[in-house]
Amino acid sequence: MTLGMVPSVLDPSLYIPELRTRNRQAVLADLVALAHRAGAVREPSLLIELLALRERLGGTALGKGVAMPHARSLTVIRPQVVVARSHAGIDWGAPDDLPATLVLLTLSPGDWSEEAHHGLLGRTAAVARLQRNRQRMLEAESFAEIAGVLRVVEA
Amino acid sequence: MSVLARLVSLGDVDLLLHEARDERSRVRLRKLGFQLGELQGLEAARARLAAAVGPRWLAVYERARHRYGAGVATVRARVCQGCHVTLPTSAASRPETEAAPGLCECCGRVLFWG
Repeated sequence: MTLGMVPSVLDPSLYIPELRTRNRQAVLADLVALAHRAGAVREPSLLIELLALRERLGGTALGKGVAMPHARSLTVIRPQVVVARSHAGIDWGAPDDLPATLVLLTLSPGDWSEEAHHGLLGRTAAVARLQRNRQRMLEAESFAEIAGVLRVVEA
Repeated sequence: MSVLARLVSLGDVDLLLHEARDERSRVRLRKLGFQLGELQGLEAARARLAAAVGPRWLAVYERARHRYGAGVATVRARVCQGCHVTLPTSAASRPETEAAPGLCECCGRVLFWG
């Protein structure tokens, strides 16, 4: 999916409307497998290991039901935000103890600078921090609605 | 796991370690709401990967890392993304082997073809 000439970080094939698992590591594996099938990632097992290391370094849950696992990796071919929902919620070790109902896996290529990677993380987090945005994403009936909320991430 | 896969993992862990050690980076991540703890686990993972790579390939990797900041470069459209030099067609056709990942003839980085 592209917006004009710029490859989009949002892709309808990188969306899981309802996660089947409630295990954090299994969720990461599912999201990376999806990104791999969409051609955004190579060597998915290496990326899963890296994401696990990042989770052990410190939690990636922002609270208020949002988790944003992330990586800057040589295995990432293009920047991407993989979106998944779990209405039951997943224990992500959030500071407010709320289970994650929205998981936004944010991936940057390894040759991106830290600043560029943090910029993508910052724009994604800024969207997810607003209650009305979280509500819209949780209630969305199509990926297009979610992409509409997250469109600012493309900036 | 192949030598190349271990080198790619090592490159990724070094990116994460740099991010986690850099104070400005830590401040930015904390402002975004992420938590960053102690580095021992990450450093131990790095040591395990370095040992698994073996001394010969570790030396190649470290030489490029100290010179350019990264020991592994991805390749897109036959261009090394480390030094942006177009690689010879022979490099593209040479199969990667378990024992011998390809190197950029210009910058010496380990090449990760995608």
